[in-house]
Amino acid sequence: MSRRLSLPPARRAWLDVALRVTAAVFGGYVLTYAATAALARLLPLARFDAAMLATLLSFALYTGFVLWAFAAASVRRVWLGIALSLPLAAVGFWPVWFGGAS
Amino acid sequence: MSGNRTFRQSMSWLHGWAGLLLGWLLFAIFLTGTLTVFDKEISWWMQPELRDTGVDQPTAARFAQDWLAREHGEAAVWSIGLPTERSPVLKVSTGEDRRAERLVLDPESGARVPVRDSVGGNFFFRFHYSLHLPRTLGIWLVGLAAMAMLVALVSGIVIHRHLFRDFFAFRPVGSRRAWLDGHNASAVLLLPFHLMITYTGLVIFFLIYMPAALDALYGGDRMAMLREASPGAQAVAGGMDRGDQRSRDGASAREAPPAELLPLESFIVPAEALFGSGMVASLRVRHPGRANARVEASPLLGSRIALTKGEAAVFDGVSGKLLQAPAEKRPSALTQRVMAGLHFAQFGGYPMRWLYFLCSAVSCAMIATGLVLFVIRQRLKVAEANAGQGFLRLVETLNVGTLAGLMLGCVALLWAARLLPADLAGRAGWEARLFFAVWALAFVHAWRRPPMAAWREQLWAAALLCMGLPLLEGFSAPSLDKTRLLLELCVFLCGAVLGWVAWRVGKASAADGVSRSLEGAMRC
Amino acid sequence: MLTGFTAGLLLAYTGMLGLCLGLERHYRQIWQQVPPAWLRRTLRAAGWLALALAFPACIQAWGAAMGPVGWFGLVSLTGFALVLLLPLAPRLALWLPAAGGVLWVLLLGAGLWRGEPF
Repeated sequence: MSRRLSLPPARRAWLDVALRVTAAVFGGYVLTYAATAALARLLPLARFDAAMLATLLSFALYTGFVLWAFAAASVRRVWLGIALSLPLAAVGFWPVWFGGAS
Repeated sequence: MSGNRTFRQSMSWLHGWAGLLLGWLLFAIFLTGTLTVFDKEISWWMQPELRDTGVDQPTAARFAQDWLAREHGEAAVWSIGLPTERSPVLKVSTGEDRRAERLVLDPESGARVPVRDSVGGNFFFRFHYSLHLPRTLGIWLVGLAAMAMLVALVSGIVIHRHLFRDFFAFRPVGSRRAWLDGHNASAVLLLPFHLMITYTGLVIFFLIYMPAALDALYGGDRMAMLREASPGAQAVAGGMDRGDQRSRDGASAREAPPAELLPLESFIVPAEALFGSGMVASLRVRHPGRANARVEASPLLGSRIALTKGEAAVFDGVSGKLLQAPAEKRPSALTQRVMAGLHFAQFGGYPMRWLYFLCSAVSCAMIATGLVLFVIRQRLKVAEANAGQGFLRLVETLNVGTLAGLMLGCVALLWAARLLPADLAGRAGWEARLFFAVWALAFVHAWRRPPMAAWREQLWAAALLCMGLPLLEGFSAPSLDKTRLLLELCVFLCGAVLGWVAWRVGKASAADGVSRSLEGAMRC
Repeated sequence: MLTGFTAGLLLAYTGMLGLCLGLERHYRQIWQQVPPAWLRRTLRAAGWLALALAFPACIQAWGAAMGPVGWFGLVSLTGFALVLLLPLAPRLALWLPAAGGVLWVLLLGAGLWRGEPF
C-alpha cells in the first residue's frame, strides 16, 4: 500500500484501472461461477430446474458485479468482494469436496 | 479513474471504454447478425443456378426416394431436405456426416442441378457466433463482447436516466449534436430489443459460458443434465434413444433382413400432425431397405418461438409406426429454448423477420454512432491537451476500417459469389478469402488516408457496390425471381442510404470540418 | 395476418405520436404554440390507448405467444421512425397515420374481397 502511494499520480491511475479491469473481468467471473454454483445448490427446486435457473441468472449477476467493480470506492473493496467466492464455492461444491452425498 | 468520482462519472467512464474497446467487435457481430436474419435468401441469391420449380413436398419426397434407391441403395443413411417456403429446392445427401455435400435435385427434369460451391448466407451466421475463428475461441470472444454490451447498456441507462423523460429528442442541427441524439434515440427507444438480443445471445451457449451449476450438481456431465430436460422422454413404443441407435448402427445394419421401405411421402402427414402444417423441413432415413429402417422427420425452425433445433420425430420405416415423438420439455428447459428462439428469430414469418432485421440494423447504428462519438470527444481532448494524437489516429483508423470496411467486405462477398468462376476449385474458400482481403485492405486504406477522406471513399465504394448489385444480375446467369429481385432492391436501398451518409460526410468535411466538429463536440 | 400487422403498425405509430405530442417541446415543433395542459393530458392518454389497442392487433397477427414480441418490435421501430421524421418532416410525421389508415382500409377491403376478413 505504501509503495503504491509513492507512485506518481498518472501511474497510480493506470494501476488502479488495470487492477479494476482484472478484478471485474476475471475476479467477476470467478465470483459469478461460485455464486451460480451456490445458488443452484440452495434453490429449493428440482435439481435440473435449480441448475437451469441459476445458470440463466448468472449473466445478470456478472453484469451487476462488473458495474459495482467500477463504481466501488476502492479497488481493495472490490477484491474483498471477490474473496466471497471462496465460501460461496464451498456451499456450491461441498458434496464434491467433502465427499458427502448431495 | 481516481477514488473520489461520483457513481455517474465512473459509469460514464465504463460506458465509454467498454463501448470503445469491444465496440468494433460488437459492430461486426451485430452487422453479420443482421444479415443472418435473411441467411436463406442470401444463400439463394448467391447460387443463381437454384430455381423454384414449385414442387410440393410429397412429390419431392417420392422423387428423392426413387433417386436415392437407384444411386445410393447401399448407403446407411439418406438425408432429404424438402422444399420449404424460404428454400424451395430438394436437397439430398448420404452418410452420417451432417455437413456432407448436399446435392440439388430437380424432380421436374429428373436430374441433378449443378450448383456452384458458395459459402452462402451461412457465412454471416458462422461469423456472427464464432468470427470464423476456431469454434471455442470464437464463441468465448463473442461471449466477452456480449458481456461488454450488457455492461455498456446498463451503464448507459444509469448515465442517461434523464433521457427516459423525453426520448423523442432528435436535433439534426449541428451535425455533431445529431450524432449524440441519434445514439441516444436508437439506444433508448430500442432498449428492450438491445437487452433481449444480447441476453438471449448469451443464453444460447449458457452451459459453455457458465458451467458452474453443471459442475456443482452434475459433476460436469452435460449429457446427464440434458437427459433430465424432458421428464417424459421415454420412447413411445419400443423406440430407442438416438444415441443408442447410433452406437448399434454398425452391427445391425448388415444383419437386418431386407424389407420394403414405405413411400417416404407417407411420413409427411403424420409429421405435420406433430409439427404443424407445412412445418416439416427434412427427412432422414437410417438403414433404408432393411427391416430396421427408421425415418426421422425434423421440423422447420419457427413453428413456435422455442428453438426446435435438433428435435425430430422417429418413425418405423417399414410399418410406419411412430416410435418417438419430440419430448415435452420441463418448464425451465423450455424457458431456455424460448430465449434461444427469441434470438434465432425463426418464428412469425416474414413480417417478424423484417422487424428483427430493422431492429438489429438500429442496434448497428447505435454501436456505430457510439464509436463516432468517442472520436469526436477524443478529438476535442487532443486539441485541448495537444497530446494523444497517435491514439486518436488509431481509433479513427479502426473506426473507418470496422464500420465502413466491414460493410464493404460484406457486399464484396456478394459480388464474389457471382463473379468467381462457377467451377473454381475450392470456390467457397475463395469467397471467404476475398471477404477478408477486402476487409483487411479497408484497414490499410483507412490508415493511409486522412480520416474524413477514408470515410468518404469507403462509404462511396460500399454504396456503389450495393447499388450496382442489380446490374450484376444483368450480365451473370439469368436467374431473376421474386426472392432475388427483392434482395437486390433491399441492397440497392442500403446502398442509397450509404451514399447519402457518404455525401453528408463529404459536405461536412468540405465545410471546414475540423473547426465545426470541435464546436459541435463542445456542445455535446 | 397482414391486416392484423398493418393495424398493429398504424396503432403503434399513432400511439407513439400521441405520447410525443403530449410533450410540450414536440407539440411546439409542429404547431409553434404551447399546448394547454388538458390537451397534453388528452394526447398522452390517447397515445397510451392506441398502444394498448395495438396489442390485440399483434395477437391477431401472430398469436398469443409471438404477438407480444411483435408488439415490442412495432412500438420501438415506429417510435424510432417518428424520431427521425419529426425534425425533418414534421407535417409528414403527423399525417402519416391518416395516409396509413387509407392503406389499411384498402388492405382490409382486399382481404374481404378474397374472403379472408381480418
